[in-house]
Amino acid sequence: MRAIVHLDLDAFFAAVEQLDDPGLRGRPVIVGGTSGRGVVCAASYEARRYGVRSAMPTAEARRRCPDGVFLPPRFPRYSELSRAVFAVYRRYTPLVEPLSLDEAFLDVTRSRALHGDPESIARKVKSEVREGTGLTVSAGVADCKMAAKIASDLGKPDGLVAVPPGTTAAFLAPLPVSRLWGVGRVTEQALRVLGVTTIGELARFPEQVLVERFGSQGAHMRALAAGDDPRPVVPDEEAHSIGAEDTFERDLSGEEALLPTLLDQSVRVARRLREAGLRGRVVTLKVKYGDFTMVTRRTTLPRATDDAGEIYRSIRADLARASPERAVRLTGVTVSGFSAEEEPPAQLDLLGTPGASPPGRVGANAKRDALNAALDALADRYGEASVRPATLVERAPETLRPAIQWPKRGGKG
Amino acid sequence: MELKIGIPELTRALARSQGIVEKKSTMPILSHVLLEARSTGELAVSATDLDVSVSGTHAAEVVKEGGIAVSARHLFDIVKSLAGEGKVSLKKTANNHLEVKAGQAEFRLVGLPGEDFPAMPKFEKVPFVPVEPTTVLSLVERTAFAASTDETRYNLNGVFFEPIAGLMRLVATDGHRLSMADAVIEGDFRLKKGVILPRKGISELRKLLSEAVEGAEEKPKGELGFADNSAIFRRPGVVLVMRLIEGSFPDYRQVIPKAGEKVATLGRERLLQVLRRVSLLSSEKSNAVKLELGKGNLRIAAQNPDLGEAREDLPVEYDGEPLKIGFNAKYLIDVLTVLHDADVRLELADDLSPGVVRPSGEAGEHFTAVIMPMRI
Repeated sequence: MRAIVHLDLDAFFAAVEQLDDPGLRGRPVIVGGTSGRGVVCAASYEARRYGVRSAMPTAEARRRCPDGVFLPPRFPRYSELSRAVFAVYRRYTPLVEPLSLDEAFLDVTRSRALHGDPESIARKVKSEVREGTGLTVSAGVADCKMAAKIASDLGKPDGLVAVPPGTTAAFLAPLPVSRLWGVGRVTEQALRVLGVTTIGELARFPEQVLVERFGSQGAHMRALAAGDDPRPVVPDEEAHSIGAEDTFERDLSGEEALLPTLLDQSVRVARRLREAGLRGRVVTLKVKYGDFTMVTRRTTLPRATDDAGEIYRSIRADLARASPERAVRLTGVTVSGFSAEEEPPAQLDLLGTPGASPPGRVGANAKRDALNAALDALADRYGEASVRPATLVERAPETLRPAIQWPKRGGKG
Repeated sequence: MELKIGIPELTRALARSQGIVEKKSTMPILSHVLLEARSTGELAVSATDLDVSVSGTHAAEVVKEGGIAVSARHLFDIVKSLAGEGKVSLKKTANNHLEVKAGQAEFRLVGLPGEDFPAMPKFEKVPFVPVEPTTVLSLVERTAFAASTDETRYNLNGVFFEPIAGLMRLVATDGHRLSMADAVIEGDFRLKKGVILPRKGISELRKLLSEAVEGAEEKPKGELGFADNSAIFRRPGVVLVMRLIEGSFPDYRQVIPKAGEKVATLGRERLLQVLRRVSLLSSEKSNAVKLELGKGNLRIAAQNPDLGEAREDLPVEYDGEPLKIGFNAKYLIDVLTVLHDADVRLELADDLSPGVVRPSGEAGEHFTAVIMPMRI
């Protein structure tokens, strides 16, 4: 029998804001895009009492909670605290699977000899996180991932729900089917037609009928309902891509209108690449149009980069191939194809290639790396906006809704 | 047109045209050579691709003046196949056919009217400067190999000719390596700035220069001049005209490092052999070799995950700081192959800065090769 712990930081972004500014404690805090199209990234429990939920349009949240404190997200700070929290998790097991900055699965099956039963491990993790960072985390303990996740959710906030081994099916049985992974509104409705509303009813339902109705998904759902979720905890993998994307307040069109945002995104992606110590060769531009159709344009650079200028030059060339004259709703810049440790030998340029660095390229590379390091040091100390390309000086950061885009993990990248 | 000419003479004349005529041209006449019998007892053979033209005159027994254009390749193949030192007779017959007769063999080649052949460029008052073919050939051989073959970088698809008082300087680069050679020369080309000679023209020039150097003439002489965006080389009996590449050559002085701090002197032939051996195991694509320079010793190593590895040490005059640097072996081999000096100097700074190869001693003042390293 496995022992899986699901850990989820409570109202993470909002909790960080309340942690850093004691004046916000006890008040409804809503972190999210503050522009017309912005959505809520996180809401404190005080704000949730007003019916504010994650992913709700900020405008709607303002209507429900006019006295709320609305704040734009500060991702570097969240990342910093997230790293500290994950460091606690890794003291108990190397098998930590991050789902996002605030959520992770731990497989503690083999940690029991050293750290005690899974429930005590979860308790210790919770108190260490609180002592180390001042944040509260909810924990769920079960013998499979799905049940652990449902358990942690049931105890929120600051909860600890343990499902004793062998009782998973009984634990799940009374819950509505919508709690199951992969059961959305449509499936829920279809199951209701069959007279199935709880997970227990689904587990007892004839598999044959489910397969006829839902295909192989039907069998899978029924297995989950019976507490049969063999998916392993996949430990943290190297990120496969790093990206930044933004939805515009209103649709933009034309290169002139789009380029500043792409520059800003290139700067952000380059900064995150350097933070992660990565360089990538594949630069991808994503453009979503007003009608929600989307195109991507991908370029492979001659060598891996972590420089905003190089990324931007590639993106600018790609934009010409992405119908920038159409109404554009969203743009994104992603760098992937991170260089393996053993990079193949690369011939350096004497003159520089057209459109790339100027002559004396290697000297320029070393200088550019030194410049980037200096810029990073300034940004670390005085904030991301301390030094910016002149083009972006006039841009208030609030005009954009920073979409949360995590490094994509193994398999999907 | 009707004439008789020695088979070896005509073979030589047609051989010159082969590198110039276009194999796949939209203008069929550009795959032809123009044959013109002149009353002065000469056969003129001309070929052009509109950018590079060569025209030579050869002694012949002219029976009747006139001209015709025929397929350069086919006439060359025919004449080559005719055995012996005898003579061949060429006669233009009706409908622009060329009758070729030698011994019992007879050919009738379909041709085009001579008047349709593009006129050879004519220049007036070209300020020609006398040049020693040996000197020019040596400059060309030590630079042309470095020119780029990447057609998108057209301004590098040739050899830069820079007039400097009392000097003739050629420079070529492909963006990864650069080669520069100087020779003392008297005369004024009256050029306001440097010009770029196209690769194809340079390769034809090289053929003519080799011909002159190897030829029986005791003191081969030639003349080089520039006019109307063209370069003209001529010597008795032949003239070569090439249109210059329009575009600006990069500021090559900027990429030639100042005297490097790490200077090693070593035997050229030995270094060349070691590079050829060791690079047998470098990857075909990158051709990378690693040079490890230490006191008195240079180790050259190559490795290829699919094949294995190789290394060899060779003695070197060096007592500076140790350095590891990667190079494309081909770039080093190319330079060492065109030099004839016993010893060469390798001047390096660090593993990411360009390296310089030049002959050791005074000869080093007239030749510089710059090679950008590989990051390994």
